[in-house]
Amino acid sequence: MEDLVSRAVARDVAAFSQLARQHQSQVRGLLLRLTRGNHALADDLAQETFLEAWRAIANFRGESQFATWLYRIAYSRFLMHARKRKPDEQLDDWDAATPSSEGATHARIDLERAMAKLSAPESAALTLCFALGLSNTEAADALDMPLGTLKSHVLRGREKLKTLLGGSP
Amino acid sequence: MNDSELDALLGTPLPERDAGEFSVALMEAVARHQARPARILAWIMTGVLTCVIAAAMVYGAMLAGHAALGAQPFAIPAVLVFLALLLSYAVMQSARE
Repeated sequence: MEDLVSRAVARDVAAFSQLARQHQSQVRGLLLRLTRGNHALADDLAQETFLEAWRAIANFRGESQFATWLYRIAYSRFLMHARKRKPDEQLDDWDAATPSSEGATHARIDLERAMAKLSAPESAALTLCFALGLSNTEAADALDMPLGTLKSHVLRGREKLKTLLGGSP
Repeated sequence: MNDSELDALLGTPLPERDAGEFSVALMEAVARHQARPARILAWIMTGVLTCVIAAAMVYGAMLAGHAALGAQPFAIPAVLVFLALLLSYAVMQSARE
């Protein structure tokens, strides 16, 4: 992996292509959650994320994991899109009719619907810390927020999910 | 739902997405991005080439005696040679892309 990253930093397209293949699923998954199940938008933002990564790869110093760096770009791309979005383009509910959810369990669909009710920072914080297995420090780095703020988002998000999924808050 | 059940549900990995089409589209976009400077340069050189042709026509008219040469008779040929070299370089770069 280290070798692939250093080759990609040296503008080796084949190495970058391999890195993109390795990380595309997680980046698209994160963006799919943030866009509340909008596959087309999530994939557009994922492509922008990887293009931005390719443009800026010379600036990657290896101070964080490559995946963390990608998640940071993905999240900032999502925020840029959210700022530009018109009010009538709001992403209100998880799109359960999308192909990936067909085989999913009911619990998972319920979770995605509940996640769609959270704010973007809460949803991103929970996804990075739980589904993508980042530490709190790495997740705070990816979301470009202080550690304390990240912990608050995780705590608040969990409480909201417990309420939404029918548990006691 | 209790805390551990919620943690287990949240900890479920995100569904694996097929890399196929996405990777192909991405690498096409990367290739387009890489070819961009060469494309821009090619357009600039097209403009430069137009100027070169116009300058050559003016220079030809001067030599034919329709206008007097300035104080530096080698300035225009030197500029034309320089622009021709620049154009060759741009074409070579475009071809490499």
